[in-house]
Amino acid sequence: MTKQNINVALIGNPNTGKTSVFNQLTGLNQQVGNYPGITVEKKVGFCKLAHNINANVIDLPGTYSLNASSADESVVIELLLNKNDKLFPDVIVVVSEVENLKRNLLLFTQIKDLEIPTILVINMIDRMKLKGISLDIPFLEEHLKTKIVLVSSRKNIGIEELKTAITTYKTITTEACLNASSIDDDYFNTLRKTFPNQSLYKLWLVITQDVNFADLNRKTLENESFTKSKSELKKLQQKETIKRYQFINDTLKTGLNIDSSIATDFRSKLDRILTHKVWGYLIFFVILFGIFQSIFEWSKIPMDFIDSSFASLSTAASENMPPGAFTNLIAQGIIPGIGGILMFIPQITFLFLFISILEESGYMSRVVFLMDKIMRRFGLSGKSVVPLISGTACAIPAIMATRNIENWKERLITILVTPLTTCSARLPVYAIIIGLVIPDKYLLGILNLQGLTLMLLYLIGFGMAILSAYILNKVLQLNCKTFFVVEMPNYKLPMFKNVMITVVEKTKAFVFGAGKIILAISVVLWFLASNGPSKDFRNAETIITSKTENATLSKVEIENKIAAYKLEKSYIGLMGKTIEPAISPLGYDWKIGVAIISSFAAREVFVGTLATIYSVGGSDNDNTIRNRMKEEINPETDQKIFNFASGISLLLFYAFAMQCISTLAVTKKETNSWKWPLGQLVFMSSFAYIVALIAYQLLK
Amino acid sequence: MKTTIANLRKGEKAIIKDFDADIIPLKLLEMGCLPGNTVQLLQIAPFGDPLYLNVNGSHLAIRIETAREIEVDCITK
Amino acid sequence: MIQDILTYLTLAFAIVFLVKKFFFKKKKTNKNCGEDCNCQ
Repeated sequence: MTKQNINVALIGNPNTGKTSVFNQLTGLNQQVGNYPGITVEKKVGFCKLAHNINANVIDLPGTYSLNASSADESVVIELLLNKNDKLFPDVIVVVSEVENLKRNLLLFTQIKDLEIPTILVINMIDRMKLKGISLDIPFLEEHLKTKIVLVSSRKNIGIEELKTAITTYKTITTEACLNASSIDDDYFNTLRKTFPNQSLYKLWLVITQDVNFADLNRKTLENESFTKSKSELKKLQQKETIKRYQFINDTLKTGLNIDSSIATDFRSKLDRILTHKVWGYLIFFVILFGIFQSIFEWSKIPMDFIDSSFASLSTAASENMPPGAFTNLIAQGIIPGIGGILMFIPQITFLFLFISILEESGYMSRVVFLMDKIMRRFGLSGKSVVPLISGTACAIPAIMATRNIENWKERLITILVTPLTTCSARLPVYAIIIGLVIPDKYLLGILNLQGLTLMLLYLIGFGMAILSAYILNKVLQLNCKTFFVVEMPNYKLPMFKNVMITVVEKTKAFVFGAGKIILAISVVLWFLASNGPSKDFRNAETIITSKTENATLSKVEIENKIAAYKLEKSYIGLMGKTIEPAISPLGYDWKIGVAIISSFAAREVFVGTLATIYSVGGSDNDNTIRNRMKEEINPETDQKIFNFASGISLLLFYAFAMQCISTLAVTKKETNSWKWPLGQLVFMSSFAYIVALIAYQLLK
Repeated sequence: MKTTIANLRKGEKAIIKDFDADIIPLKLLEMGCLPGNTVQLLQIAPFGDPLYLNVNGSHLAIRIETAREIEVDCITK
Repeated sequence: MIQDILTYLTLAFAIVFLVKKFFFKKKKTNKNCGEDCNCQ
């Protein structure tokens, strides 16, 4: 008996609980994207249906129809039209939601036309009673020509039935449920005659949008004599939509019954408060403030714990392993490197936790509604709020989240300014510098000064993003037809399982994606810091011993001096020294210079670099990195290196500088031009330098 | 003067009349904004824009300039 | 001696990883633009 593997595609409108169904089917057996910052393009999960049948479940981005109006939606069509794709579905599961069945069915009737076996899931049936809804399933199954499965992903109802339905997908008819081509018989007949081997609806999709599919190229279609003008095609698309809705309305007249006297009005009451002109903004601000305060407050204890555990682990390693270069690499390169990554798990976890709760609950759409008018003054859309907020996690998924902004100019501006918001990679840098230069005191008894500084940095990031958007809006000369449609989903209590899966997934992506890079860079850095090109490096012991012959120094002090001298003469020391003239006006020494060089590719490397440099430079292993940085003194000015002025200057530098190769790559991909990422790089980095310079010169 | 969605008061219901299909984005049609369907204005955002509607059972928000293009007949109670 | 070999091996591994990550990324061209305007 052979094992059978089938591909199942999950498709549905946004907010139908499609991802919940996906999570229920696959649990944690999911594979997501290929970016360190998690792509949203395609999610594939695995599910055992029967003892000899396994399924690859593909979770496609939410879409309202097969007429793609955004980049996100064209992902769906491209997969469905390409029979050669190795994920091409054997069976499609359309996920709909009981309260919005009418609208959800539009997509269903289009999918049915593709002649692929299709199952209809009606989700959230636990709300039917509350809303006074009843369904005539046999009637619907007959008219929609499908198998219907009633599911409540929240209550875990119907998942087993869905698995059975998927297993027996071959029994489902591939017949369409309405004849869409009757909108223009002559036209479609010509099409049918010219391409007798193609599915008519597929042809129609290729004609009306910017997609190709394997065995049929757009170009060959365009050259034919029966081409229609854009406006004619659009008219036909509208006719098609109207026809489909007529069919759906007719079917639901019998199939669906809503007793509106039962429906409760919780939603409109909450809407009134959350979109109120005073309360709405106040609540939004309080939520943001609460998030940032708690990120800093709650993660303090686990962060300190991780930090000190790794310090003692490093000591234990160097004491218990045989002395030599590899032991040093482990104790001074690898262990502090890993510690530097793991230390930020608590903060990143909390951030993603809050963001996914806001998205799941339906609150995010209210924010879009509330902010649209204001954002438009700056050339952005209300929908830019979502990328700007999720940009606080990572700019990469945030830039991808701009795909649902319909207006190209608004979308471009959002892409360009999103990297200015404070992403989680900046958090480690901020956390360590704030810890060093801002006192851990409370203002008015409740507001932690360090938390407040962090909040301020986030606000500066947002402020700069908005300001740049305003300037870009004036400078860029693009004329776009503007339109804006946003769905306002019903409020839902976020599902624990969904939130947890998102949090685990994103944290994992940070640890294994960004973490691997950080670790590899720490290894290289350690090597550069423990080797040097000149004689001075090799003879460090003799040079220092002869210099300090007359002074009375303890053994530890001499060892420290040797180590510091070695570091200065190492490869990395020489690199740092080379750029020191450029950065000393900003208040940095060559060690910080090294960290800035190494964090050019990814800013979170900054802390790992400092950890490596300060581990190599000291012999007292049980001290934490943070304490070492605190005690670091500039030999020329006799002042602490990390003082208030240089700290603020560093914070501002990291707030504005473009130090993330992955973000540049995503900008390139989403704008399809090198012009925009290069602009980001040059503009942001030079601006960062100037601001940091001014700040240090004013504060020192 | 013709009545459009932009002229509705908060809470008011109306029936969508025919409109110039070239101006209205297809996506809006796909969400149920079609001639003959009912529309209710649920909320107006601060500063008067966008508008939060219930169209044919779908809850969605559109900008006022789009709303001005959609002609309606008010339902008088 | 064995310590030195291990060190260089780890270093080589790290460098290969970084070079692969940043210089040999698969490139895809995709026209992901809205339909209402032309983007290059």
